[in-house]
Amino acid sequence: MILRTFSNLCAQSQACFRSARAKSTLSAVIDETGKSGLILKSLSTDIFENLALEDWIHNHVDLQNRNMLFLWSNAPAVVIGRHQNPWQECNLQVMRQKGIPLARRRSGGGTVFHDLGNVNLTFFTSKKNYDRHRNLQVVTSALKGLRPDMDVRATERFDILLNGQHKISGTAAKLGRTAAYHHCTLLCSADRALLSAVLKSTCQGIKSNATQSVPSPVKNLLDEDPTLDCDTIMDSVASQYNTEFGFSSPVTLVDPSDELSLPGIQRMARELLAWEWTFGRTPKFSICTTFELKNDTSICNATLNMDIKNGIIETCDIEVPSDWLPVELSREFSLHLIGGKLCPYETSVIAAEFLRTIPQNKELERKMYNLCRRVVFMM
Amino acid sequence: MAMRVAFRCLTANFSPVLIQRSRPVQISANRLLWKANPAQSLSTASRLSTALKFTDKHEWVRVEGGIGTVGISKFAQEALGDVVYCGLPEVGQKLEQMEEFGALESVKAASELYSPLTGEVTEINTELAVNPGLVNKSCYEVGWLIKMTIDNPAELDGLMDDCSYEKFIKSLDE
Repeated sequence: MILRTFSNLCAQSQACFRSARAKSTLSAVIDETGKSGLILKSLSTDIFENLALEDWIHNHVDLQNRNMLFLWSNAPAVVIGRHQNPWQECNLQVMRQKGIPLARRRSGGGTVFHDLGNVNLTFFTSKKNYDRHRNLQVVTSALKGLRPDMDVRATERFDILLNGQHKISGTAAKLGRTAAYHHCTLLCSADRALLSAVLKSTCQGIKSNATQSVPSPVKNLLDEDPTLDCDTIMDSVASQYNTEFGFSSPVTLVDPSDELSLPGIQRMARELLAWEWTFGRTPKFSICTTFELKNDTSICNATLNMDIKNGIIETCDIEVPSDWLPVELSREFSLHLIGGKLCPYETSVIAAEFLRTIPQNKELERKMYNLCRRVVFMM
Repeated sequence: MAMRVAFRCLTANFSPVLIQRSRPVQISANRLLWKANPAQSLSTASRLSTALKFTDKHEWVRVEGGIGTVGISKFAQEALGDVVYCGLPEVGQKLEQMEEFGALESVKAASELYSPLTGEVTEINTELAVNPGLVNKSCYEVGWLIKMTIDNPAELDGLMDDCSYEKFIKSLDE
């Protein structure tokens, strides 16, 4: 596959003179190539930059008579679907410990783990030409082109299964005004242990109408054949894409942080990164759970009931047996949490302030501290 | 066509009470039609939708008493497949015409919703939180999405009536 950078693409097209004066945007350059099929590959491994680039292409490139394929992979990240609940879908504590960010994409579907061993493919078309099965056929044909005996098949739910058993690819899509995009993952050599660890929620007692993931056993293509690495697979998919649609596009490298070629993209990445989007767009839900409180001498069971809307705690009722902690204290603490984010950092600050108000009593302080810590841990 | 438009202008000026009274007559006429010829169910459906205006994004709006009820068309719900989640705006949210106001999710695809008019959201269909499939089962009636004020009634003139919308859908196949 011939790799070109974006600046090469400029030079190839008539726009090279224009870009000498004032650098053209990506969409202008694409229009001027006159090509009806293009393949782009991201230079970035940042999930937010890459999701922003998807949105940018969807919003700015004329896709009425044009198809585009975008190839990208990311440093470890968990990506949830548009209408999902991150507390329900993944292990936020482990993610925080390991510095794995949470991203919410604008397409539907379930939760996936990305790392550099996972390839992402986005197929951009007009709404009229939106055809997920055809896109997945590009992928399965590309894989069979590399290994003719490989048993890879797309299902009705747009998953790709290896040997009829293991999921190697999941799909999601977004339909806009006049254009659509369909993206899918492809597990080549992802860290499966880490995948299992982060995709397991530990938050109990959630009641929600958010869309839920359907867990599936997964496998890496590398497990099937050690010579199948991400680059080989990306090249093969790009080739097959050209064959399937009758294009002859080289793979053009794009830098998603290039504000000059992609005006507005940095703001889009910031929006995707913001708490208000990743956590705040969670559909309304409630938590109703019991948990243990321990100290040196005794244990008791406490209950927590919360309603959360836009990621903000709307109602909160923490009940602790009165012989463990005075009722007024747990009630006061509950009230302090209302209006705050369901966020361990913010709640820790509120808890620390609250602990300072408690009358000097070592045992009471320790019990209250335990309660605060337990509640923060749930977030 | 002109007569129908004139009639609609008149009804838009009627008080809500008058409009309420006229509805039962319309419904029983439809029931007679149904009994007379079940094969004419298509025309009955289109009779229901004569009060609707459509956008080219396949949303409809029905105006009653200065409030617009918004939903998606039969064509749209069929293309979507089974709706599993309705992402709707908040009551009080102000919308510009053609502004994105939410999304419907079906089989892993999120389909954006575009406001047919400029106005403020007065109500959202809370039934859809527990039964999003209503959008498929009854897209013109109980599967409505939002209700909104109509800040600029002239915008309605730019929308399609049912005949124009039918023609529009046919042209998409070509």
